[in-house]
Amino acid sequence: MMWSWIPSNGSLIWNLTWENAKLGVLPALIGLVISLPLGVIAARWRWFYPPLLTVINILYAIPSLALFIALIPAFGLTDTTVIIALTVFSLCVILPNVVAGLRGVPAAVTQAATAMGYGPFRRLVTVELPLAVPVILAGLRVGVVASISLASVGQLIGVSSLGYLFIDGLQRSFPTEIYVGLVLVIALALACDLILVAVRRALTPWAVRPRRERARPRPQQLEEAAI
Amino acid sequence: MITFQAVTKRYPDGTVAVDGLNLEVPEGKTMVLVGPSGCGKTTSLRMINRLVEPTEGAIFLDGTDIRDRNPAQLRRGIGYVIQQTGLFPHRTVEDNIGTVPVLNGWPRKKARDRARELLTLVGLDQELARRYPHQLSGGQQQRVGVARALAADPPVLLMDEPFSAVDPVVRASLQDQLLSLQAELRKTVVLVTHDIEEAIKVGDVVALFRPHGKLAQVAPPEELLAAPADDYVASFVGFDRGIRRLGFIAAEGLALGTGPVLPADATVAQAMASAEPWILVTQTGSGSPRGWVDTADLAVIPDGTPLGQLDTKGFGHAFTVGADSLRAALDAAVLSPAGQAIGVDGDGRVLGVATFDQLRAAIQAGEGWQARQKARP
Repeated sequence: MMWSWIPSNGSLIWNLTWENAKLGVLPALIGLVISLPLGVIAARWRWFYPPLLTVINILYAIPSLALFIALIPAFGLTDTTVIIALTVFSLCVILPNVVAGLRGVPAAVTQAATAMGYGPFRRLVTVELPLAVPVILAGLRVGVVASISLASVGQLIGVSSLGYLFIDGLQRSFPTEIYVGLVLVIALALACDLILVAVRRALTPWAVRPRRERARPRPQQLEEAAI
Repeated sequence: MITFQAVTKRYPDGTVAVDGLNLEVPEGKTMVLVGPSGCGKTTSLRMINRLVEPTEGAIFLDGTDIRDRNPAQLRRGIGYVIQQTGLFPHRTVEDNIGTVPVLNGWPRKKARDRARELLTLVGLDQELARRYPHQLSGGQQQRVGVARALAADPPVLLMDEPFSAVDPVVRASLQDQLLSLQAELRKTVVLVTHDIEEAIKVGDVVALFRPHGKLAQVAPPEELLAAPADDYVASFVGFDRGIRRLGFIAAEGLALGTGPVLPADATVAQAMASAEPWILVTQTGSGSPRGWVDTADLAVIPDGTPLGQLDTKGFGHAFTVGADSLRAALDAAVLSPAGQAIGVDGDGRVLGVATFDQLRAAIQAGEGWQARQKARP
């Protein structure tokens, strides 16, 4: 470990961290925006969900590098390629949570809302979605963390991220760089996760206990996200 | 007024939930739909606010076919209370109660003021206004549910098993609350329950359903108990319907004797002179009952002893003349060691006591009253 390397490369480390944060957060947010309408449809018309889930699982099974490469002809060696690929992966994590969150709204609550004179859209926006927030945000947390971690793979096609430190460190047999990259990826993921926990607390002052927010990722997704 | 006209609900799988229902819910009264599970009572209720649409027939609300009304608009004029409360977990108590006023376009401030009025109306502390539903007890949640249903002052209130999920003590107090609210507000209430006791307690009219959505009998509760239409109704209302029917006859007609009643400062000699087997000792001053003394025990006690110094036997409970029914009076007599019911006035002062003979006479006279009720066109 060569501590002096860190201050002398401060601006490089800062830029890479910032790039990595962008590549992690943007796809998760875009994934959320796409997941909401799809999730609403899947929760309302149940037959729509099983085929959708199959498509999602197939997409999720594509190795990230393969998806980057597949997108290069269309978008080149750019941020866009990485963001699109990571959006697909975030979507796969967030969408099931949107559906689970909406389906988890107690039937008595939706029935009471209807009986009090809510139209379907107003009920969705003011009753069902707010009640689904804890579960949706749990999905978003997994999505953000996974994207931040996967973003480093983008370095293989030349899109800069903390992944640079891994590849450069490996090529120069310089472990300090690898350790710094690893610590920063984890710290970044943790920071974003904590921000989302704070957002969830602010949005759901009514929540009984934070128990409902537990993420429900499928185990193999988490393993893959950690690559 | 709500009118069901030959209403049938048949599901695609062929199940008939409601079969040719004709029913009229009178304005300002409480109609209870009661029956075993699967008898179509809840389906019938939900057809009134169009949560369920009938397959055949029509339902009229004040003469208008409800199918001609916009469902959301129709529902804002119909309060709805369900067993699971259906309170919005993400809204405070005041915002839950203010739901329909806000849907009707009230400013939030005005809706919250209204919510606080309603909290008082349903017997809850205004301190609860800022809490979330999960911070309340089951009984409190149910009261908030009633307050929410009443918030926009709808003329009609639908209640689906509203008190089934709470314990018996809380249930009784919620039922009493409904009765006192109804005495004040005079809503047209339709209440679904599987509990015939509840139906008899809160209903002005009871509609008893058979399985598969047919009506067995529609009658005021006292008539249901006195004259069940058939064996099904008789078995549903239960074997002790004779006793329960007495709950509808006022104890006012009961003759009360004052022979065995003596104040605490009367002496043993006075008690012996009365020749009564039991003496009811009352408090000097307030005149409230103190307890019974068996005159057979008095022989060994000096004549001049005041009755207030003797040990008395408990009297169970007294009945209030002018407020309680013959059922309460009979119960008081059964529980009393002397076999006599103590009648008191509104302040608890003893007016007199009734023996089983006097109770029997009053019950027979009451049956005459029942017969007259039935003979009425």
